[in-house]
Amino acid sequence: MSAPAESASPGATAPGDAVATHCPYCALQCAQTLTRTPDGRLPVEVDGREFPTNRGGLCQKGWTSAEVLRAADRVTTPLIRTTDGGFREAEWAEALDLVADRLTTLQEAHGRETVAVFGGGGLTNEKAYALGKFTRTVLRTPYIDYNGRFCMSSAAAASNRAFGMDRGLGFPLADLGGADAVLILGSNMGVTMPPFVQHLAGARERGGLVVVDPRETVTARLASDGQGIHLAPVPGTDMVVLLAITHVVLAEGLADVDYLEERTHGFDAVRRSVASWWPERAETVCGIPADELRRTARLLAAASPSKGGRGAYVLTGRGVEQMTQGTACVTAAINLSLVLGLVGREGSGFGPVTGQGNGQGGREHGQKSDQLPGYRSISDPAARAHVAGVWGVAPESLPGPGVPAVRLLASLGREGGPRALLVHGSNVVVSAPNADAVRESLSRLDLLVVCDMVPSETALLADVILPVTQWAEEDGTMTNLEGRVLRRRKAVDAPGSARSELWILGELARRLGVSEGFPDDPRAVFAELARASAGGVADYSGIDYDRLDAGEQIQWPCPSADHPGTPRVFLEGFPTPDGRARMTAVDHHAPDDDVRADAPTYLVTGRVLQHYQSGAQTRRVPELSAAQPEPFVEVHPLLAERIGLTEGEDAVLTTARGTATVSVRLTESVRPDTVFMAFHWAGAGSANRLTNDATDPISGMPEFKVTAVAIAPARVPVEVTAP
Amino acid sequence: MKVVVIGHGMVGSRFVDDLVGRDPHAEVTVLGKERHEPYNRVLLSSVVSGRTEPGSLALPSAPTARVRVLRGVSAASIDRDAREVVDSAGEHHPYERLVLATGSQARVPGIQGVANDRGLLPGVSVLKDLDDAHRILAGIPQARRAVVLGAGVLGLEVATGLASQGLAVTLVHHHGRLMERQLGEAAAQVTTGSLRKLGVTVITETSVAHALDRRGALSAVRLTDGTEMLTDMLVMCAGTIPDTALARAAGLPCERGVVVGADLASPADARVFAIGDCAQPPEGGTGLVAQGWEQATRLVDSWASTGTSGADAPPEERDADGLDPTNVVRVKAAGLDVVTMGLSGKFEHGERELRAVRMSDPAIGRFVEVVVSHGLLVGATVVGDKQAASELSAMYTRMLPVPADPAHLIIRPLAGAARPAATAVADMGDDHTVCQCNSVSKGRIVAAVGDGCASVDDVAKATRAGTGCGDCRSVVAALIAVSASENPGSPSHDDEMSAPALAGA
Repeated sequence: MSAPAESASPGATAPGDAVATHCPYCALQCAQTLTRTPDGRLPVEVDGREFPTNRGGLCQKGWTSAEVLRAADRVTTPLIRTTDGGFREAEWAEALDLVADRLTTLQEAHGRETVAVFGGGGLTNEKAYALGKFTRTVLRTPYIDYNGRFCMSSAAAASNRAFGMDRGLGFPLADLGGADAVLILGSNMGVTMPPFVQHLAGARERGGLVVVDPRETVTARLASDGQGIHLAPVPGTDMVVLLAITHVVLAEGLADVDYLEERTHGFDAVRRSVASWWPERAETVCGIPADELRRTARLLAAASPSKGGRGAYVLTGRGVEQMTQGTACVTAAINLSLVLGLVGREGSGFGPVTGQGNGQGGREHGQKSDQLPGYRSISDPAARAHVAGVWGVAPESLPGPGVPAVRLLASLGREGGPRALLVHGSNVVVSAPNADAVRESLSRLDLLVVCDMVPSETALLADVILPVTQWAEEDGTMTNLEGRVLRRRKAVDAPGSARSELWILGELARRLGVSEGFPDDPRAVFAELARASAGGVADYSGIDYDRLDAGEQIQWPCPSADHPGTPRVFLEGFPTPDGRARMTAVDHHAPDDDVRADAPTYLVTGRVLQHYQSGAQTRRVPELSAAQPEPFVEVHPLLAERIGLTEGEDAVLTTARGTATVSVRLTESVRPDTVFMAFHWAGAGSANRLTNDATDPISGMPEFKVTAVAIAPARVPVEVTAP
Repeated sequence: MKVVVIGHGMVGSRFVDDLVGRDPHAEVTVLGKERHEPYNRVLLSSVVSGRTEPGSLALPSAPTARVRVLRGVSAASIDRDAREVVDSAGEHHPYERLVLATGSQARVPGIQGVANDRGLLPGVSVLKDLDDAHRILAGIPQARRAVVLGAGVLGLEVATGLASQGLAVTLVHHHGRLMERQLGEAAAQVTTGSLRKLGVTVITETSVAHALDRRGALSAVRLTDGTEMLTDMLVMCAGTIPDTALARAAGLPCERGVVVGADLASPADARVFAIGDCAQPPEGGTGLVAQGWEQATRLVDSWASTGTSGADAPPEERDADGLDPTNVVRVKAAGLDVVTMGLSGKFEHGERELRAVRMSDPAIGRFVEVVVSHGLLVGATVVGDKQAASELSAMYTRMLPVPADPAHLIIRPLAGAARPAATAVADMGDDHTVCQCNSVSKGRIVAAVGDGCASVDDVAKATRAGTGCGDCRSVVAALIAVSASENPGSPSHDDEMSAPALAGA
């Protein structure tokens, strides 16, 4: 294998050239080498590349990622809906004219707020930035949000509240290897980002991997055989586990008292709040033996620096975040980390494990309803003035905050709600909760425009589909789960007339009367993004393509060209007004849609290794689709016996929102009171037709991860009333 | 709305905290007779056992301008006509609504010599408040022996706690079996055996008749059967009595506790409520904090949602089976797992169709009984099985359906069922997936080895096995070794399995 140059030219490479880039899928952003193969069935060959995060490893999704470049049904030309319900191919000029005309007409008739934009956590930093700018300066509507709302919003809200900053992991991933203990709550990286597991080897060797998950997942099994502890709480009660562990740490005098004194405030309220969660009480709520909770607390404390340990990390995932108490649950994890004195110390720490490819960068550059680039608040006059200055517009011309994703989707086509929606890099009819209602919402629109590379289920509902480039066909940057800014590099040209969103936004802007400010060169966009972020929390102003192409590993904040970046944040203090971390007392509440007589089983949702998000990409890869061809429900044999289900037969699952029919897989890895579905599929077995769109009051995160469900053999339909 | 709350214990403080959080117009005066901030009384036995630092007991106390907390001040009288409470300092507190959360007092049994006009004899104690806990803790270093009177939940916790502090402990109980309200004969026997292993001697069907003193401090006790035993400490855990004195004096109906309806209001005065240990609701008081907290939450909810005075009746699920999700009794003691819920011990079957399935395994200190009615768990007794205890209580409190055969609740924990041991490579079928991350089967790996792959990295290049999380690399190495031993001619480099770099590096 030839060693690819980090400083590959930004354009398409010559045949045989190797291009250093990163995987198109998750936030681990495994380093890849793409070798162009002009005579092959696929335009590039993919190989793993040595990098601090993946250490050369790739999972099956990454290895097969080139298949999506040549998906059989790839959209290669703009498509316009015809009166008979189909699509016809169109030239770009016609499609863009049509979109611009319809947007203009709708905005003239109903006001600027009649247009909404929905972005995605898979878009490059440049695209996310341009999309936010386009929304605020060309469409001038407040209504933009993105699927990161379904991903990282609870973790972001909790981190911002506690630390004044959210950088995902505030330390290099490789630091995990030196710790004595790693506590993982609601993340199954053994399946979702397998190369991550290499960094857990140290903790496992020392018996210190603690996994909290209602299922015995692949990741939970990593803690078996003396390598750690798996705690399997009743779904929706992870917070109780955290409160009880914190209780034990305090009750047994294991806290880092000096750290709490010097680096935090609000501890007293937290101490009082956990006094009510003694282990025996927690046991009756979360179903984990009191002594297991104590053992876990002692293990974590022994690993903490104040007790002479080599360090401990607390990591959260969607399992604890996608709850109506998601922000509170992450706060409980942060409180535990602070009580143990882990945060802002080399060798220890707290961090949420970001999911989507650019889930970190995607939440920093202005596609979130309340944010401007640099992780700035759109309600902050100084932030508005700074960004407006970079954009060359008047601060007062910028709209205020919009609404979070679930509310935005629900308002579509309703009185006073948006009548037009532009979707970029998201497949909401599969990935949003209460998916049947989302489909209805989209049907109420006067105009739906979807930019996608394949005809996703959402694209198929559009009035206009605009074909876009992906991954190996484009340049840009992605920010991974540890806040490291990475270069995505172009290896091949896109098929047909697919174009980058940067170009599309520029063309639309021009048609909507804004001729400047939307270059299609990602390098130029990044340079502007860097300026816009200057002085913000997520400060990229010292980063440019030249530094990245020269091989520099830069984690933000990086406020100047001679700044090396910040591998570990908070070492000197927290970016809060007084430099201390803020502790907030939180308490547990039951799920919004809790089990009851006619829906006595918990439904939890998650992922399988072979598919990514809504499956729009991975379901089009034959090897992945063959390994995981269809939706399924995991059922414990005891539950199956009670309701008369057998392996492989179809079960009907019914919640207060919808029904799904899927085949049954019997497994003891799921609790008998719980069933599990992966959410990657559309159609009759689509998990998100069942999930709850109730949201966290602070983050707007929907409660994907727990709802009450009735399950029965397909031959015996059931009725479920609203909770 | 002006609210006066009498009692600042676990239930009173929770109620006040919830109320001011929910109702922005509530103005609350709290009278707390203890000088301490509200604290977690449930953990006093853990403090005595040395497992919990007293400083970690403090509970939330609403620090808002709308709450006035008077510590070390008790209520002297209630004037229901004037709608005001007079406190021990003579101050008058008018109310629109009055909530009694006065809790209960420790019952001091009639034992000769146990008290004099200065109070309890030194060395003799109850365990009802933080001062009691500190007194007991202070006595431990000088003590060698202790007698605990009363083998209820608290008695067991105190006895095991003192034993864990190195004292020789005798647990004296009037009834023929310990925890007789919760445990049947078999479960009580298993528990007695477990206590013995923890250093606690149990004596039943007797009580303490005399406390004998020497130089003004406890030196021995004489039991009702005449037995005398030396002891440095006597802790009386003989139950509690709801504190109803104020309510009685105010003419409110009281029986064992302050009588309240399903709405938690006194039938004699719609402005007066009682919650927690002092209350006697229609379903009866359990003395458990879970019941008091549930009442606090319910009362706040009903005030907030309806504006009317009374709380909604308890949830309907407390049906004919008497299922009360808060009725879980859990002994908190290191090394002793005793949990009961709902129907346990000796209960009447009545009209119900109950299935009771039990497993008794005294040799290892284990006893589990589950009681099932109409597909729901309505009771359980668990001794010595942590996993069953936690799973059953999580199931009971949620009223989840039980398996078709309730025996499954006993013979296997509900979660964390044992996995099959790792399959030896020779026993794997060709379609066994070795590399989960890349869906690579044993057959493909064996074929790759047959095609000349001699190292883990070779196999990785050919099949991608081991290039994800890397966990299967040892299995791949084993497969190579097996193939090599079967085909001695082929090269093998299984020493490379320890190489840190993965394929494509």
